[in-house]
Formats: sequence, C-alpha cells, structure tokens
Amino acid sequence: MKPDVVVVGAGLAGLSAAVRLAEAGASVRVLAKGVGSTHLSAGTIDVLGYDADDRRVERPLEALAGLPAEHPYGLVGAAGVSTAVEWFKGRIADGPRAPYAYVGDADQNILLPTAVGAVAPSAAVPETMAGGDLRGGARVCVVGFRALKDFYPALVADNLSRGADGVEARSVELDLRPEGRADPSALAYARGFDDDAFRAEVVAQVVARLAPDERVAFPAVLGLVSPHEVWSYMEHRLSRPVFEIPTLPPSVPGMRVYATLGQLLVRAGGRVVLNTIITGAERSGDRVRSLRARVGLRELTWEPQWVVLATGGFSAGGLELDSHWVTREVALGLPVEGAPPPGEERFRAAYFGGQPMDRVGVRTDHDQRPLGEDGGRMLENVLVAGATLAGAAPWREKSGDGIALATGFRAAGLIGGGATDRADDVATTRA
Amino acid sequence: MTTISTEVLVIGGGATGAGVAWDAALRGFDVVLVDRADLAEGTSGRFHGLLHSGGRYVVKDPVAADECVAENAILRRVIPDCIEDTGGLFVSTPDDDPAYGDRFLEGCRRAGLPTEEIAVGEALRMEPRLNPRIRRAFTAPDASIDAWKTVWSLARGAAQHGARVLTYHSVVGLHKDGDTVTGARVRNELSGEELDIEAGFTLNASGAWAAQIVKMAGIEGIGVIPGKGIMIAMNHRLVNTVINRCTMPADGDILVPIRTVSVIGTTDIRSADPDELPVTQEEVDQMLDDGERLVPGLRDARALRVWAGVRPLWQDEHAGQQAADTRDVSRTHAVVDHSQRDGTRGLLTMSGGKVTTLRLMAEDLVDAMCRQKGDERPCRTADVRPPGNEDGELYSLSSRLRRREASQQQEQVICECELIGRAKLEDTMRRRGTQNLDDIRRSLRLGMGPCQGGFCIYRATGILHGVGRLDGAEATASLTSFLQERWKGMWPILYGDQLRQARLDDWIFQGLLGVQHMPPGGGDGVGDVREDKHVEAPGEEAVA
Repeated sequence: MKPDVVVVGAGLAGLSAAVRLAEAGASVRVLAKGVGSTHLSAGTIDVLGYDADDRRVERPLEALAGLPAEHPYGLVGAAGVSTAVEWFKGRIADGPRAPYAYVGDADQNILLPTAVGAVAPSAAVPETMAGGDLRGGARVCVVGFRALKDFYPALVADNLSRGADGVEARSVELDLRPEGRADPSALAYARGFDDDAFRAEVVAQVVARLAPDERVAFPAVLGLVSPHEVWSYMEHRLSRPVFEIPTLPPSVPGMRVYATLGQLLVRAGGRVVLNTIITGAERSGDRVRSLRARVGLRELTWEPQWVVLATGGFSAGGLELDSHWVTREVALGLPVEGAPPPGEERFRAAYFGGQPMDRVGVRTDHDQRPLGEDGGRMLENVLVAGATLAGAAPWREKSGDGIALATGFRAAGLIGGGATDRADDVATTRA
Repeated sequence: MTTISTEVLVIGGGATGAGVAWDAALRGFDVVLVDRADLAEGTSGRFHGLLHSGGRYVVKDPVAADECVAENAILRRVIPDCIEDTGGLFVSTPDDDPAYGDRFLEGCRRAGLPTEEIAVGEALRMEPRLNPRIRRAFTAPDASIDAWKTVWSLARGAAQHGARVLTYHSVVGLHKDGDTVTGARVRNELSGEELDIEAGFTLNASGAWAAQIVKMAGIEGIGVIPGKGIMIAMNHRLVNTVINRCTMPADGDILVPIRTVSVIGTTDIRSADPDELPVTQEEVDQMLDDGERLVPGLRDARALRVWAGVRPLWQDEHAGQQAADTRDVSRTHAVVDHSQRDGTRGLLTMSGGKVTTLRLMAEDLVDAMCRQKGDERPCRTADVRPPGNEDGELYSLSSRLRRREASQQQEQVICECELIGRAKLEDTMRRRGTQNLDDIRRSLRLGMGPCQGGFCIYRATGILHGVGRLDGAEATASLTSFLQERWKGMWPILYGDQLRQARLDDWIFQGLLGVQHMPPGGGDGVGDVREDKHVEAPGEEAVA
C-alpha cells in the first residue's frame, strides 16, 4: 500500500491533517488504534483559555504572543491559528451535518458553563452551545435527566448562581429515558433526541415549567445525526435560546466532529483504518520508508511518501512512561523531551497546579520535523502534530483543540507546499 | 459544654478500638468510642490485607506465630464475610536460602500450623504468574481480610449493644482526679464543638498514636515506635493465593490478593511522627523490584495506588527491650498497665499487635480492665458474629458481580470499576450523613478501581449534592478535596497505564469541567455532619 500520506492518529490533529490533504488531492490513510480525542473533548475549539500565569484569557490570538517560545503555538503563530479555525468552521458547515455549524472565532473567547457549573473560555463552539455564553449574565433553567448519570443539573445551577457574574440559574430534572433503559449513556440520549417523538416529549414536559425570560440548558445530547434540526426544534418549540453543556465522555459533540471529518475524508477519497497499531518503521537515511502495523490479527505494511504523527500524548497512548521512569514516543520511537532526569521529581504532591511532567513531548524544528538526540532534524518525511508535541499543558491552558487543529492543519500545508505553511498552497504529492 | 457519661471510653476507631468496643459492649459495658477521623482511617485502613496464617513468624517470632494460628481460625468463624479464603504459599525465590524451608517446616510443626511442601510445578500450576525459578513451595492457611469491612462490622455490632461511636472526635485532654483518669475532653472536628466524656475507665487503643494520648495524662516515654511500611495496589489479581517469600521477614516479601486488586508490601522504617509518612521514589522502586522477584512482569502491570501505614510497634525501655531495627521488634501485643508502670489508674494502653490478632488484643485489654475494676465478665467475641457475618459464609470475590448482574437491567451503575449502583450509593450517603466523599470511598470502595474516581467522583458529587442537600460550595469542597486525596496515593506510582488514566482524568476534571476554576468551596470538604453521628454502617457491602 503506497498512499501519499499516512496519518497516524484519528484525533482532531490527525483528522484535520488528513481532510486537508485529501481535499487537496493527496491519497491519505489514517491509521489509528481507536477513535481519538474527539470523543473525550467538549466538542468546542478551545484555543487558549488560560495564560502562563493561569489568568483567564479574553482574546486568545493576542495572548498567544505571551506564551513561551517552545510552546507548540510558537510553530504556528496567531495568523496560522486563525486560518486553521476558520478552515475547520468551513469544513463543518460544509459537511454532512450542515447546516450544523460552529460560531465564534479565535479573536475572542466566550464563556460557557461546564457540567459542574464552572465557566470555561472557548473560542469557536457549536451553534448548539453558543446560547450558553454567560458574559453579561443570564437567567438559566438547567434541564437534566434523572437517568443520565453524567450530568447533574442542580449542581450546575447552584454553582452558576454562586460563581458566574449576573447569572441566576435553577434546575429541572426529568424522568425520561430513551427506550426505557435503566442506565442510558449520553449517546443513547443523543439518539433519543434524533427521534421526533422523544424530543416532543421532552418539550412537553419542560415547556410549562419555564419562566418567561429564561434560557434553557441541556446536557450536550441534542442529537448525533441531526443536531441542527434538533436544536432548532427545541428553540422554536420552547420559544427561547436553548444550549448544550458538555458532559463527561463520551462526548456527543465530539462524536459529531469525528463523524463529520471522517465523512469529509471519505468524500475526498481517504479512509480511516481503526484497530491499527504501528509495530515498526523501516528507515532509509533520514526518511521513513515504510510503516508496519497490526490491523486486528494481520500485519500490514504501508509505504507512504509522508507520515503525519498525531498519536496524542500520555492520555492517548502516543507517549509512555514506564516503571523504570523512561519516556518514549510509542509509534516511531522518537526522542521525548522535557521529562525530569532519574532521581528528580516527576510529579508533586499538590494535585492542582503544574507538574514537572506536564510539558513532556516530542520536540520538532519549525517545519514540525522531529528533532534527534543531537538537536538536528531527524526525519525528513515525518511531521508531528497535536498533543504529541512538547511544550504545552493543554488541559490547564484549555489549548488542546487549538493546538491539535492548528498543527494538524499546518502539517498538511507543509507537506503540500514543501516547507511553507501557506494555507492555499496544498498540492498533491502523489509519487 | 455537653457532658456525657460512660463506663468505658475507647480511644481509637481502628481494628483494635473497634474490637475493644465490640468486646466490652458484648460483656455488657456501656461504651463510648471516639476517633479523630473516620473509622479505620489510620493503620487499619492502610495495611496489605493479609490475615496471617502465622507462617511468617514461625521461625523468628514464635509467640506471634502461635497467636496468629489461633486467631486466624477464630476470625474465619466469627467474621467470615470479611475474609476471603485465598490460601497462601511460601516460596523460596532464587535469592532465598532453600534451607530456610526446613526451619519453616519445623516452626510450623511446633506451632501446629498446617502446611505441606508441594512440588514447584504444582505451585506454578496454582499460580502461573509465579516466578518459574522458585526452588521450594509450601502451603499455608493465609487469607485476605477486608479491614474496613471488619472495623465497620465490629463498630456496628458494638452500637447494636448500646455503644456510642463518635467519629471525627479528637481527644484534646484527659481528665484526672488525683492519680485516676476519669475521662476525656474531645473536640468534634467537623463542628469545632467540645464535649466532656466522663468515663469509669479509659482504654487507649490509638495504636501508633498511643504515646500522644497518654502524654495528656502526664505519662512520658511509653515505647510505641511508629514503624512505617509502604504498599502498592496493583490492578487486577496478579495472583489468587497469598504469596510469601520463604525467608526471614523482610521488605517487599508479601503479595496479597484482596478484593479486585493485589497488594505488594511492605517496608519497615522507623518513623518519628505517625502523621508524617512520605512515600519516596526509592521505596516505590524497591517494592516493584521485590515484586518482580515473586511475580516477574509485575513492573509492567498497572499500579493503582501507593500508601504508607504505620505499625504501633511496642518496645518499652521499662521492659528492658531494645532492638536496632524495627523488623526485630516483636509483632505481639502488650497491655500497658499504667497503674503499675506510672501510678496512673483508670487507664490502660494497648500496644503492638496486628489486625490478625485484633480479637485477642481486645480480649486481653478488656480482661485487664475487668481485673482492675474487680468486675470480671467472660469474653464472648470468639463465639458471637458481629453484623454482616450472620450467614457464616466466607467472602467470595464474585459476589458483588453476581448481585450486579442480577440487577443490571434495572439500575444505574455509578462506579463501573467497583460495580456500585445508585441505590446503594444514595443509601450509604444517607446513612452516613457525611459530606466527605472520602468517607463514602472507605464504605463502598467508590473510586478505588482502575480509573481512581475519574468518572464516578463527578457523579458522586452530583448525587451527594442532591441527597445530602449540599450547596454548591460544599459540593465543590467535597470534590476538590477528594481529587487532592486521590492524587496523594497516585503521584508516586504514576507510570504506564495509570499515568495514561491520570492524564485522562486531568482532561476531564481540569479541561472539561474546569474544577480548578469553580468558585471556591468552604472548608476542606469535610463539612457539617448530622448531629449525633453514631455508626450507621453501609450495609452488607461495607468494605475494604
């Protein structure tokens, strides 16, 4: 198998690179152990929520300049981030769930409630969440379901009333279960909402319980297949703004992203091959010539021109730390930077706050090529993107989506254009 | 200030104190038990879970061995639901002198401990993960014991016989009338209120903290040495039989299968302060290396959690004992008679001992009290089963799964790792009346599985917010305090899959939920509890 590009990893970074390359005409295979970070995320595109001093960021693009040079955003720059976010919005709006779309941009953060009733800064968000922007205050009725164990409306309402400026919230809990199941997941509820009868029943139970000027929050389960239709229906029938609040994983909005990008990839001739674990790579000089992988029970070999490594960090399994305290990059065995040397502390006793292991990852040159132990470019045809990259603590910065999207998008551009990162310069590299 | 009166005040709610309260209450004494925290939150909740057969001590500490042999048999009879009959193996690893096996056999014969040497091949068939290079193997009736479940059962039993159990009550002073201790002043750690307890007799069962207690009666220098040991819980049952190295007791030579995990232990380091028990990287590495010797590949398995406990080793200068190493201090127990030793009456201290001999320790202490009071009443704890053990069945690993499978179509599972359903969780929250999720963890094992609360703790917070009528600030405090507490047991062993899990949890709690940006909660997560917080045990699924 000789595709132009093999992308390893099916998270936001890998899928963004794959879609951009495939739509530019390259033949692309995405090899992934399983579905990626999308299913664990909020489904929002968070570019930068908190700066290096843990202060909330209002204008992410401006704040990027304040990050340390070795931060992954240093590779991309503000203009690159903005271009990538706009590209993503365009692809979703043009995808199979259209007119489901994202709103907002990387210039300005909005503040959305979380499932514990904190507020979290996000840059671009699904239209189904935008009504939850709490800047300027609001009256909110948080609706939940007794049987959905991953969302507690009273907790959300209590904390929002307590902590969010000008927000007055209360809650309503419904005893409605899709298909009568005892322990339905967020996904089961999303499928329920895709069904006319279920959402009509929800409306019927909620509508009389709302005060005139209240917005209505639901857990982020307003449809998997047709979220725009579900959300519009709810807004129309309830005659007021309706918005989703992300729940614990698996994330329905994240699944929408995964499905949409996957379908765009197929539309452009690419494919995602799941259940695939990279077991080895043949090198010749400074190039990876072939990748061996186990796909189910079979061993297969790919011989791509280019490899985009987007396997994620420690949480995704792209990076590992073993019991002898040695770190490694799992797929290609690239050098990993930033881990404290043996004998020094890797973690600290205080949970909240920074840990010495936070920013460990693969270091690259400006063209996202991995650096060897000697600090020089190690591989010519491998580009690294997303959470594998060293230098960020994305869960704290709320920067993971932006880093994944911008570095994945840029990796595609670099492959298309040699070593430039101009967005419109993607050409096929078919050999 | 409120004053309450009782015949017997028991200080300490660990295995010893709960055992003493149960013993004394069964003999018809009026009992109050106090602990500065939750039940079994000290040493008893921080050991490896081994119910000793006695084999570990047959060569080195024959008195301790004899006690273990007898008590092991009695506990299987009276608290069967707390005990899993795993059986045990003593194995000579390539680093051990095989000749020790002969001394071991001789010691077992002397102690009347049933053992049998089996072929190495047979041992490997029993436990396929065992080091294939072991040279000898012997069976022994070791078992695992669920200390939380045990302590809760005893405390419930005591309460059913009229005892009052006051958790989160610290002793702030002992009352004296002349040379007699007449009770204590305690402080409710949750409300800050103080309470006077007038007691006819005070039994100090505070283990490694015993010296701190008697100091309040002006007694100095009692020889309780805090001996720190660390243990690591490995995900899954790497073995289903307790594995001991067949050698003189040393570090890292026991692997205990208990509930859904296996625990490798332990170290033994003299500690200056029983409340300061840091786990060092060296100790973790040592424990993993020791584990490799018993079960090769242990380093590649997933470590869930590490903790340190502190043994209340007894070494009194008055008794002329002196040991260079805490390993050489006897594992037996002793009743410290303060009337003889210090001229202070109305006060006895239990020192030394171990969970396996908790019943005997209680018997000895209450007997001593009876003699001093001149009110001898027979001990009944060898014959009466405390609550939860009525059916006489030993605990079986699969029982929780069996119950869950029967109800899986009808109920939400809140903690998938430990199979805890919503009804059980809500019931426990109501009965315990606590705002502290860590109390719930000890009662139900909530958050103790592989994800260490990654999913269930958000859910439990939401449910507790409703059930306990918490406000947002209290719920926030409960959640953040649990996350910090959980981290304490994880950060020294974060590698491999557990690091992966911890990072996923970071994404959930810090990234998705933004817990660190919630408006601050009050206090430390241990909020007000219902008045009159007597023991309300968590039903038959109480734990460890």
